Amino acid sequence: MHTQNQSIIVSGGSRGLGLHLVSRLLEAGNKVATFARSHTAAMDDLSAKYGDAFYFTPLDAVDAPGVTAFVMEVSDRFGGLDSVVNNAAIGQDQLLMHTDVETIQRITNINIVGPTLLTRAAIKHMMLSGGGNICNISSICGSRGYAGLSVYAGSKGYLDAMMRALAREVGEAGIFINNVAPGFFESEMSSVLRPEQLDTIKRRTPSGSLSNDENIFKVVDLVISGTTNMQGQVVFVDGGITS
Amino acid sequence: MIRSDILDLMNMVMKKRGREPLADEGQSTREAGFRSLDFSEVALRIESKVGRELSFEAASMRQIETVKDVLDFFEEAIKG
Ligand SMILES: NC(=O)c1ccc[n+]([C@@H]2O[C@H](COP(=O)([O-])OP(=O)(O)OC[C@H]3O[C@@H](n4cnc5c(N)ncnc54)[C@H](OP(=O)(O)O)[C@@H]3O)[C@@H](O)[C@H]2O)c1
Repeated sequence: MHTQNQSIIVSGGSRGLGLHLVSRLLEAGNKVATFARSHTAAMDDLSAKYGDAFYFTPLDAVDAPGVTAFVMEVSDRFGGLDSVVNNAAIGQDQLLMHTDVETIQRITNINIVGPTLLTRAAIKHMMLSGGGNICNISSICGSRGYAGLSVYAGSKGYLDAMMRALAREVGEAGIFINNVAPGFFESEMSSVLRPEQLDTIKRRTPSGSLSNDENIFKVVDLVISGTTNMQGQVVFVDGGITS
Repeated sequence: MIRSDILDLMNMVMKKRGREPLADEGQSTREAGFRSLDFSEVALRIESKVGRELSFEAASMRQIETVKDVLDFFEEAIKG
């Protein structure tokens, strides 16, 4: 484990990859706060196991005052804020010409405005406290084309581009910002893919297997550890499919 | 729009692509060469006839195997 004794926010930690990141970071002795729109049983389990080192509240990532208040609340509870992982997002499985306007707005709001608001609130705090680490979970879709994912892909490409600009804006303040871009992994989001499609992806992947939550965690752990001097980079965790 | 109108649109697209007309409802879309972009074109042509957008998930398109599936799908989509 590289990340220890930190105060960390992971957005969308109620299930999927976010839940795994939260659980592993807590196991390593960090204090971790997360939010999602809906509460899950896993949140009660973590509260029971980790007490004050864990904090969950129901919150929509696009609720700007709510997100700002959440960052303040976490900083007060945990005595600071060292790292943020922007993980919350929604997927897409529609060709653009058959996607309604509301869906386009929902995806761009949650996947673009959401992480931008959390990052903005966090860097204000980190500026004053002497630094920190931001890690956005983007996707191989931000750099490679996949049909049915145009708006989602655009949102991930945005995260990559925003990250590079921000590295220039806040790097000197000791804030490290990098993205981890996973390939497809099994979760509720990717459950629209049929087993044959997952097999095709595996066949085209040099490592022969999809990444899993733990593979991604290992990289996130390193990225937010504050030990690497890595700044403004997208790290692909995809078994080589984008190589 | 009735079922035969939808079939006409499908055949119009097939003809445009230089392919044989669809034989019967049981025919496999894959074997007939009716591809997903053809499906999209039919959807857009239906949209302009009914005067509103039809939006649907790619997953529902992936379940389509026969000409009958396409006709059923669009009949339902038009009902809204
Ligand atoms: N699965 C893949 O194949 C894959 C591949 C590459 C990258 N990724 C990325 O990896 C990350 C995690 O994906 P996943 O597959 O673990 O997704 P997931 O299982 O669908 O979980 C998404 C999490 O985000 C939360 N969330 C969604 N919308 C939210 C909102 N408006 N406000 C607050 N929380 C919200 C969800 O809770 P609520 O719904 O209750 O709000 C949930 O906790 C995402 O950034 C995704 O884009 C996934």
